[in-house]
Amino acid sequence: MSFIRKYIEQQTINRRNLLLMSAYGLCGAAVTSAMKPYAAKAASSDPQIAWSYRDRTNPYWNAIVSGGNAFVQSLGKPERALINLINEGSSEKSLSDIQSLLSRYGSNVALAVDPNDMPNCRPVVEAVSKAQAYASTIWNKTDDLHPWDFGDHYVSHMTWSDVGPSEQTARVLFDAMGGKGGVVHLGGITSNNPAIERLAGFRNALKAYPNIELLAVQAADWDTQKANQVMSGFLTRYGDAIKGVHCASDTMAYGVIEALRAEGIENMPIVSYDGNPQAVDLVTKGKILATVFTNPYWAGGITASLAYYAATGVFKPSSEPKEHREFYGPTTLVTTKDARDFKVKYIDTNPNYDWKKFWALSGGQIQYK
Amino acid sequence: MNRFLAMETLRKWVPLLVLAGLCLFFTAMNPHFLTLRNFARIAISSSPALMVAIGVMFVILMGSIDLSMEGTVAVCAVLFALTLNALGGSIAGRGWVAIPVALFAGAVMGAVNGLVHVRLRIPSFMASLSLGFIGIGLSLLITGGDRILIDDPLFRSLLTVRVGGFPLMMYAALACLLVAWFIQDHTTTGRNFYAVGGGEELARASGLNVGRLRIIGFVLAGIFYALGAIFAVARLGIAETETGRNFMFMSITSVVVGGTALRGGEGGVWNTLIGVLIVNVIGNGMVVIGLADYFQDGVLGLLVITAVWLSTDRRSLSFVK
Repeated sequence: MSFIRKYIEQQTINRRNLLLMSAYGLCGAAVTSAMKPYAAKAASSDPQIAWSYRDRTNPYWNAIVSGGNAFVQSLGKPERALINLINEGSSEKSLSDIQSLLSRYGSNVALAVDPNDMPNCRPVVEAVSKAQAYASTIWNKTDDLHPWDFGDHYVSHMTWSDVGPSEQTARVLFDAMGGKGGVVHLGGITSNNPAIERLAGFRNALKAYPNIELLAVQAADWDTQKANQVMSGFLTRYGDAIKGVHCASDTMAYGVIEALRAEGIENMPIVSYDGNPQAVDLVTKGKILATVFTNPYWAGGITASLAYYAATGVFKPSSEPKEHREFYGPTTLVTTKDARDFKVKYIDTNPNYDWKKFWALSGGQIQYK
Repeated sequence: MNRFLAMETLRKWVPLLVLAGLCLFFTAMNPHFLTLRNFARIAISSSPALMVAIGVMFVILMGSIDLSMEGTVAVCAVLFALTLNALGGSIAGRGWVAIPVALFAGAVMGAVNGLVHVRLRIPSFMASLSLGFIGIGLSLLITGGDRILIDDPLFRSLLTVRVGGFPLMMYAALACLLVAWFIQDHTTTGRNFYAVGGGEELARASGLNVGRLRIIGFVLAGIFYALGAIFAVARLGIAETETGRNFMFMSITSVVVGGTALRGGEGGVWNTLIGVLIVNVIGNGMVVIGLADYFQDGVLGLLVITAVWLSTDRRSLSFVK
């Protein structure tokens, strides 16, 4: 039975060590934080790079991760060096994954994150800042939260303003309809910020076209199948009165196109948003008249890059101007005229981005209303 | 006694009455609802759902539950599309092999599900739910999150070609429905599903190999999920992990609304057909009458509770769990 005794002894020693070490660690942490509350920690030479996002079933997030992978490879590391934290649409999981990561690696973390919803951004950046690690966020952040309030550890925030580009796609649609006739809008999940902005852009464009009649606005939750069902419902309700369809995302446009194909309708003007490869392909064929490319590949790479190079001390976030801490991501309108060139440049191959030109594609500082 | 019998007969017809009532209501709100073209649209959205609902119905008849449909549909859809595209992209050529491949994949997923449930003695609820997650993960692994497009005009003719105003897909789904009805009413296996659902102890005491029967039930369910996957791909021309989305809620709701009891031993394919139609008529009707979208989910939930309340006889239930 000696092995049992040995095991118990080992465990006792381990426990004692653990207690001693945690006491030491706690004191150390207390002393450090007491002495210099907000000072940046000495830059880490090789931080762990992580991306926290929703899931991979969506082409958008897939492209984000490809960008993250490309950045990691630009450092001469293998793809698996990028830690993927998948929150599956849960803010709780997003936060707890990040906390686990921070307790494992401490300050040695460069995190790129979409906090899933706006209120979750604060606990995420507070946890990162407390651990003296570095984080860059995209999409979800409340208006009262700013990177510059956290010294260096909340590096940057990038988001996209969808109102303008959505208005542009609507104009392309209305022109294709000859400036008259009925139009329907299929929107994203009603409470999502992009869904609200894309609808606002669409409504803005309507003001300039008095002969366009808005027949209906309906949420189809970014979902292809739901959009398919909603579109067939619209066809029953409005029939031939529908002369154009404005979709808030590419994924919903696919469902709309198939609902129309089932009825033998081939040439309905449709516009969408997101610039996914399949949608760009459909734009080259004229099945979709316009989509908006938000360059998720670049966004995925540059967000990780900002956190990484801040962590390694290549630049000091607090010395950067505000427009480098909070900025809009790029948006490009893709229409039938330029879709072919666009596809060659951005879809068939990804451009070789210089991941140290952090703000090369920035659309300017974020404006709050 | 007579009154009791009359109530019993009436209760049997409640799902159909609910369906007729819904159609009348939506037609009163918008006459466009009652057109052949709109019924064709409802038929298109019902075809994949009907296959999945029939699959889970076999399991529910036995008093078990299967929640793996979203994963199984995703895997079958993705394997079907990959095989079809790898073998030339047309079911006119060697691509037809994709159909048996998908059905086989469904059967294998079902068999694993049944084996885990029966051999490891894990409740079907837990076993199938977990297997569903495995399926979603597997399809994600196969596709890497990408969508696979199907352009074969012959295969898409399930959606695009119409006979008598209805797409071919509906006739194919009805043919599968008849096969399911044959299995249910005219085979020993089908009768045994009812026996196990009605009283498992009794069935076991009569010498029935209940474990084996359960595995067969799950395999059958898997095959019908695969059929659902093929119709879902035919409907959108896209196979991806998301193809399986929403089928769990849709199919189980349909089965229950149609009057098949969740405790097992009662109901059948015709009930399931009515149930699927009720759910899809509600989905279509709410858009057709222009109900605001924030109401739609709530109304769907209320209608489902009402339909179940009307169609189940609660006096025979000693307790509800």
